[in-house]
Amino acid sequence: MLTAAGRRARVVVTVLVFGLLLAGTAFGDDDAFPFGPFRMYSTRDDPDGLVVSTRVEAVDRTGRLLVVPDTATGLRRAEIEGQVGRFRADPALLAELSRAHDRLHPDEPAYDLVRVVERRYRLRDSRPTGEQAEQVVAEWRR
Amino acid sequence: MFRPVPLARIAILRTIAYLFVPVDVLLTTPWVVQHAHVPGSLYEPLLLGRLLHLPTPGGWVEVLRWVLVAAASVAATGRLPRLLGTAVAVLYLEWMLVAFSYGKVDHDRFGFLVLLAVLPTVGAARRTDRSGSDAAGWAVAVTGIAVVATYFLSAFAKLRFGGLDWVDGATLTRAVVRRGTALSTPLLDHAWVLHVFQYVLVGVELLLSPLLLVRWRDQRITYLLVGGFYGFHVMTFLTISIVFLPHCVALLALLPLERFAVRRGKPIPQRELVPT
Repeated sequence: MLTAAGRRARVVVTVLVFGLLLAGTAFGDDDAFPFGPFRMYSTRDDPDGLVVSTRVEAVDRTGRLLVVPDTATGLRRAEIEGQVGRFRADPALLAELSRAHDRLHPDEPAYDLVRVVERRYRLRDSRPTGEQAEQVVAEWRR
Repeated sequence: MFRPVPLARIAILRTIAYLFVPVDVLLTTPWVVQHAHVPGSLYEPLLLGRLLHLPTPGGWVEVLRWVLVAAASVAATGRLPRLLGTAVAVLYLEWMLVAFSYGKVDHDRFGFLVLLAVLPTVGAARRTDRSGSDAAGWAVAVTGIAVVATYFLSAFAKLRFGGLDWVDGATLTRAVVRRGTALSTPLLDHAWVLHVFQYVLVGVELLLSPLLLVRWRDQRITYLLVGGFYGFHVMTFLTISIVFLPHCVALLALLPLERFAVRRGKPIPQRELVPT
């Protein structure tokens, strides 16, 4: 059986934790993890707008062009997208992806070029129209 | 909140939750440890990491990983539940901060983090002990609230970030365009299905998820509801290849797991021993 103090402590912790979660949901952002809002798929996409899909490409020392998978640099696609503003503002930061690749895969040829490419799909009435365009939004060369 | 729950349920939850930790760390989210090799300039520490002045991930993450796996593996046996349970909860939270400090936070962890935090508060628990405990009751209750909050409050996040007309947007179309599978891509030609599903989703989050917390007189309703939510997560995996695994582990707390422990103790009916 819990003592009165034990119960009180649990009530206080419960109120505190779920109070923080409610505050995070109302005012916080992902930065407040684990008390941030559960915002997966919470933004609204315009049924006649664009869907953006991002990928990282690299040209390695042998001249081969490759699509860089998450495991090559240790950064997931969503993380690249989360920091894409920084890569746009300062493409030299992409050199860090090349460094991460060197550390994770020292046996593979190094990257001489790294770029972030966005593919934009046009929607009409929530359906892809088939119309799509690609744009390099940041590029770094060794 | 303190309605007694058999200690057996805590013992079983411990085994499952602590065995899930190595599965999560080594198999299902192998990308976390790779952050150790990402240069510090791409590290964007979360608020908690900044407040605690946590170090930038580096070689020590590998040590964290194996200490966490070792602590969880021993904790799964039920030994030193308070000490090891607390260690696992703290180390796993730090593991999460390493995971989510590079530009993307996942939202499938809250229930599991709460479960890890409360499991040590119950103390010793045996799988065969069917006696009720109010400490166990509290642990199960807050885990249940955390699981339901993950669904319920995500509807409020949609309202906050997407607005009232989120349901009439193209969010699921975007999800399928970006992460579609063989099963879901054909739905792009039938956009109304995705549109309707956005209403269903908000309805489930707001109206159905709180029912998980009701103590139904007929326990089959609990099984049906929990089973329904597992079905939802399987469907999410099959359509957009996202699975809320840690959340699914926490969801187990709502089931009367203690029944399975007792059933296993009963003699096995003879006919099941006949080879088929």
